[in-house]
Amino acid sequence: MTTTLWSATVLLCLLMYVVLDGYDLGIGVATLFERDPAHRRHMLESVAVGWDGNETWLILLGVALWAGFPLAFGTLLPHAYLPVIVVLFSLVVRGVSVEMASQAPPAPRWTTAFGVASLLAAFAQGFALGTLTSAVHLRGDVYTGSAFGAFSWFCVLSGLTVTAGYTALGYAYTKHKSTGLLRQSAARRGVVATAVGGVLLVVLLFAVDATAAPLNLDSPGRAFAFAVLLLFATGGAGTSLITFPWKRQSGAADILPLGGLVIATVSVFLALGVARYPVLLPPGLTVDSTAGPHSTMVFILVGIGLNMPLVLAYNVFAHRAFAGKLDTEGAHS
Amino acid sequence: MSLLDLSRWQFAITVMFHMTFPAITVGLSIFLSVVYGLYWRTGRAVYLQMFRFWRRIFAVGFAIGVVAGAVITFQMGLNWGVYGAKTGPIIGPIIGMEVVTAFFVEAGFIGVLLYGDGRVRKGTMFVSTVMVSLGTVLSSTWIIAANSWMQTPAGFKVVHGQFEPTDWMRVIFNPSFVWRWPHMLAAVLISASFFVAGISAWYLVKGRAKGFARRSMSIALGIAALLMPVQLYLGDNVAGHELPYQLSKLEAIEGDWGNGNTGFVLFSVPDQQAARNIAELDIPCLGSYIAKDLTCKTAMPGLKLTPAADRPDMAATFWGFRVMFLAAVLMFGTVFAATVLRMRDRLWTARRFHRFVLWTTPVGILAILGGWVTAEAGRQPWIVFGQLRTSAAVSHLAPGEVLFSVIGFSVLYLIMLVAYVAYIVRTMRIGPERDDPRHEPPPRTGPPPLVELPAALGPKEVAAR
Repeated sequence: MTTTLWSATVLLCLLMYVVLDGYDLGIGVATLFERDPAHRRHMLESVAVGWDGNETWLILLGVALWAGFPLAFGTLLPHAYLPVIVVLFSLVVRGVSVEMASQAPPAPRWTTAFGVASLLAAFAQGFALGTLTSAVHLRGDVYTGSAFGAFSWFCVLSGLTVTAGYTALGYAYTKHKSTGLLRQSAARRGVVATAVGGVLLVVLLFAVDATAAPLNLDSPGRAFAFAVLLLFATGGAGTSLITFPWKRQSGAADILPLGGLVIATVSVFLALGVARYPVLLPPGLTVDSTAGPHSTMVFILVGIGLNMPLVLAYNVFAHRAFAGKLDTEGAHS
Repeated sequence: MSLLDLSRWQFAITVMFHMTFPAITVGLSIFLSVVYGLYWRTGRAVYLQMFRFWRRIFAVGFAIGVVAGAVITFQMGLNWGVYGAKTGPIIGPIIGMEVVTAFFVEAGFIGVLLYGDGRVRKGTMFVSTVMVSLGTVLSSTWIIAANSWMQTPAGFKVVHGQFEPTDWMRVIFNPSFVWRWPHMLAAVLISASFFVAGISAWYLVKGRAKGFARRSMSIALGIAALLMPVQLYLGDNVAGHELPYQLSKLEAIEGDWGNGNTGFVLFSVPDQQAARNIAELDIPCLGSYIAKDLTCKTAMPGLKLTPAADRPDMAATFWGFRVMFLAAVLMFGTVFAATVLRMRDRLWTARRFHRFVLWTTPVGILAILGGWVTAEAGRQPWIVFGQLRTSAAVSHLAPGEVLFSVIGFSVLYLIMLVAYVAYIVRTMRIGPERDDPRHEPPPRTGPPPLVELPAALGPKEVAAR
């Protein structure tokens, strides 16, 4: 029971991270396709007020895994060593670039570094997620794999899919936060990113059966939940594709692309979770075989669980304080 | 170099780099709260100017601290996977509490602190600033709890090689935590004070922005003067309360191999293999005095009392402690001189003293780094003292992977450090004049906004409603 509850918490952290830092990294990727320096600045500034909070979900994800499933934390990270190291390098560069560029403008080099690091971080995160489909090598409880042992073409596919998905989220957020030309270009490119992400995802869902962690849809309950969630994902992505090009300034035109993509992203991750539970790493590392002792589970469920509403409240506060559109018409650029 | 050495170097580089930033930003966030509080109560422009200027330096330092800290969390699994798996049930929840009670608080309010000026009410600004400093203090608290448990583990049992908590109160309030926590808090306040005082001294030396510089330096040196005597007392108690559990660390700090030296070793080049000092300089009897025996008879214990396999590296422990101790003596002297000058009303005319204070800018940070080297190197060869050896805690990675990460982090962090120092220097050169609300620059001329749609409101307008 405690193990199931904590698995749900870990999944919540993953979903929060992917959605929040997803749009945030996606905006970074999107700056690379933007020629106008003023537009790039506006995009960077929309990230500057919230990246810290978004990234904190990654730390909580790591620590939630560490506290609840210590053995999984201690084997999964060495298993995905190189991509995770690249993620960390990129996040360091990104965080520093955002502050440097927004504290001491104009900083074209820091702005470029921000874009490149965002792209690397997004791809490496997808790549690292991809390594979760290759078998882990253990002796006893201790990881003994090789440097490139977990890599496969699937990881590259996963990296590209995540990058496209993040970029689509980034465009949706940019459209939501901007006006004028920037809003138009975000709408145009958002359609492309969403379509590319969707196609890649379909390929990925077929390709995953050829890996060491194929989809497990043996029971009717799983198969049903998987199908329903994918239906939601299709609906969400479809909504975004339709509403992205809406030009008129309206609540729906600004919110629906973002909302649709968030629903699609969450549904896809939940569907993959349903088809995978309780495996953490193939072949034999499961939620139960890596769970920590009872005294720890109780402590984290009470201590960290009770803080969750507060944590969500801080997130809402941070986003509310900077609600509304950035002035992207050029008056203050 | 072996896999273990590479992993240890990687950790040493990343953790020292990280620690440099909290050593500046924890104290600076409290300084910002004080200054903004003063501005809110008194409405005096100089306080707003101080807030804005120091916030520029805080902002980038805080960001680097955050991202470099995230790296360390993941290293516990990446490079120290066996440690991660074995101590996860104890260290994991403590860091988890840090994330939910500190990181999210900081992250929730840092946006308002950095960008809310003029967009939100003064009260909201003040509360946000205080919340960020509260977050930084809570963060230090949990980190010290986790590290202290590794120094003096308590409240656990070992089941199948994994540490299981049996009494959370004893885990968190373990024997060394109680003294190391106030010691660390005082340390970051002092290091930030010297950092602020040093930069302010530069303006006094240059004769620029005097009102701003005097007030900044006055607050900073005042806080340091109050805390330095307290810190010497706390430091002494850290030694007194942690070392009974870790005699090997005390022996390495003292710098003696055999027993019988009643002096204080001031300089030494230890040879770990031969268990002797190649060169050594002592102050006679001072060791005995420090042990509170004025008859010069109490000798310091030597590292040979500890079996060779359980000895920490003497050079690192000895010199880490000396750096901290000598820096503390220097800082104590500085604030003592400042207090005397202040009482004689000469603090703002003593130009040589200003020049001297400028040079002490990084001394507090160096003291903290030295202290951490003492704490960590002195705990070796254990990662959890007496329970788990560092050599048994490392992930079985390919050495090439770790080498790649060591080189990557070294290059990256060197660039970041240079960039931050360059940024500080540039911010200092531009100066606090632009942050003075009494001299607002004229509004920038340019084309007017193209459209005036209601939906085109900026955050300023929306938040002001």
